[in-house]
Amino acid sequence: MNTLTDEQLLERFPGTRIDHDNKAFYRGLLNRQLLIDRCGDCGHWFHPPRPICPKCWSRDIRPTAVSGRGHIHLLILLHQGPSAPGVRYDTPHPVATIELEEQSGLRFTSTIVGSDNAALKIGLPVELSWIDRGANPVPAFKLSGASQ
Amino acid sequence: MSVRYPIKDQVAFASAATTPFSKTSNERTQAGMAIDACVAAIRAAGLGAADIDGISGSGTSPEAKWMQSALGIPRITWWQNPSLTGTFATTIYEAMHAVYSGACSTVLCYHAAYRLPWQSRAAAADAMRRRVGELTGMMGAVDPETMGGSVGYTAWASRYLYEYGRRREDLGMVAINSRSNALRNEHAVINTPLTMDDYLQGRMIRNPLCVYDMDVAIDGADAFIVTTAERARDMALRPVLINAAASGMVANNDEDQLPGLHQHGQQIVVEEMKRRGDFWIDDVDLYYPYDGFSMLTLAWIENIGLCRPGEAGDFMREHWDWAQQRVLLRGRVPFNSHGGSLSEGATQGSGHIREAVMQLQGRAGSHQVDGASKALLTIGGFFFNAQALSLHTV
Ligand SMILES: [Zn+2]
Repeated sequence: MNTLTDEQLLERFPGTRIDHDNKAFYRGLLNRQLLIDRCGDCGHWFHPPRPICPKCWSRDIRPTAVSGRGHIHLLILLHQGPSAPGVRYDTPHPVATIELEEQSGLRFTSTIVGSDNAALKIGLPVELSWIDRGANPVPAFKLSGASQ
Repeated sequence: MSVRYPIKDQVAFASAATTPFSKTSNERTQAGMAIDACVAAIRAAGLGAADIDGISGSGTSPEAKWMQSALGIPRITWWQNPSLTGTFATTIYEAMHAVYSGACSTVLCYHAAYRLPWQSRAAAADAMRRRVGELTGMMGAVDPETMGGSVGYTAWASRYLYEYGRRREDLGMVAINSRSNALRNEHAVINTPLTMDDYLQGRMIRNPLCVYDMDVAIDGADAFIVTTAERARDMALRPVLINAAASGMVANNDEDQLPGLHQHGQQIVVEEMKRRGDFWIDDVDLYYPYDGFSMLTLAWIENIGLCRPGEAGDFMREHWDWAQQRVLLRGRVPFNSHGGSLSEGATQGSGHIREAVMQLQGRAGSHQVDGASKALLTIGGFFFNAQALSLHTV
């Protein structure tokens, strides 16, 4: 497991707003684990990270690994956008919000790799597939059954 | 069902004013444009600096304290610069509530839109503007993989087309409607016609939205005088009463966590407006369904009850004036009579409100709607800024 200090964690994500409420999520990324906040009292999942369970107001928040399976809920193709290592827009860059199988309405936004854009559709099942961007692992998704 | 809404018709717009809008000229400062609009609004109401005792500037405009000193307003008792996380309507609501509570009597409200260097090549060419940009700063690192901010509307437009099996032509109807209205308004920054072929060939920015689906960044300012209905009657122009106003927001309001197209701020706004106000779409002469993104206009048309979900494009076609290439509801009510944010220029809603006030005061010039006395404005989007106003003259 990654045991970076808070200072070292901040150095790995320059410019990102990391604080004590969301640092477990970012530590998880460096360990190639997608950790989503789950309530220790009522079991409710929520994202982005928050210091309280929005359902029961418990403070017992447990960043918990998800299965990485879900389906595409929102899908766009960026023809231009922020610069990022390995991201080119001459082929439009897909950005997708995945509804995770753990809970209805629980969603995570990332990109989809390993398929032509023409194959991507709202509703298709996907699974987690890590990519590297600069020095950091990034949680991406691939169509279920696709290679990569 | 009765509803507690004591502010109804108690607060009014005494005037509205604007500056020239431009999407390419770099010569003006944001403060200079705000000043021009404010001076024009004060003078149009027949007032002077000493008559103003409240200031409400939008959160991205020069601060109230700066405006007071710049205009030499001797004494104020209330001021605010509400965030533009809401639309500009928030700036008006704050003024309304302050006037009604007695915190002040006559409020100067303003918003100055200003192109920052990252918004266009023309803006980036201005050295002074680059300095302003450095000092304004961006909100930290941005990865491509976000639905935050304006990207969120693209995402839900995509979902809309998917859920209802619709095509981009529906969004194109909104772009063409705004453009055709802009052609009638000499104040608009875009003055060339737009056809459906043009729209469909438009440069894709974030599929499914192209350059014609997104509002056009401009330099320009709008300003207003908001006061009690009683005082407004003694001022120079016809008072425009605020019959009702509302905001609405649901949890979860993060762009990618929003419950869905049927459950966001707009439905709350519509419900509240119907409870609070005395008139609705069937009674108005003017309708302003916000068009910061084309998708929002379709959503508002559906959410206010003009048609069923997914059918706004068909509704626009049914009420389309083919000669004028724009919607005319009941053959006479235009939607976004000034050309909206898509074609008059992006004002985060101040343009829609200014246009409605000017129309109701009979001061809309070339594109005046004859005899207009009631307007409905539904402003903003799904996440943090669904808002509405109903305005009328008596
Ligand atoms: Zn809980």
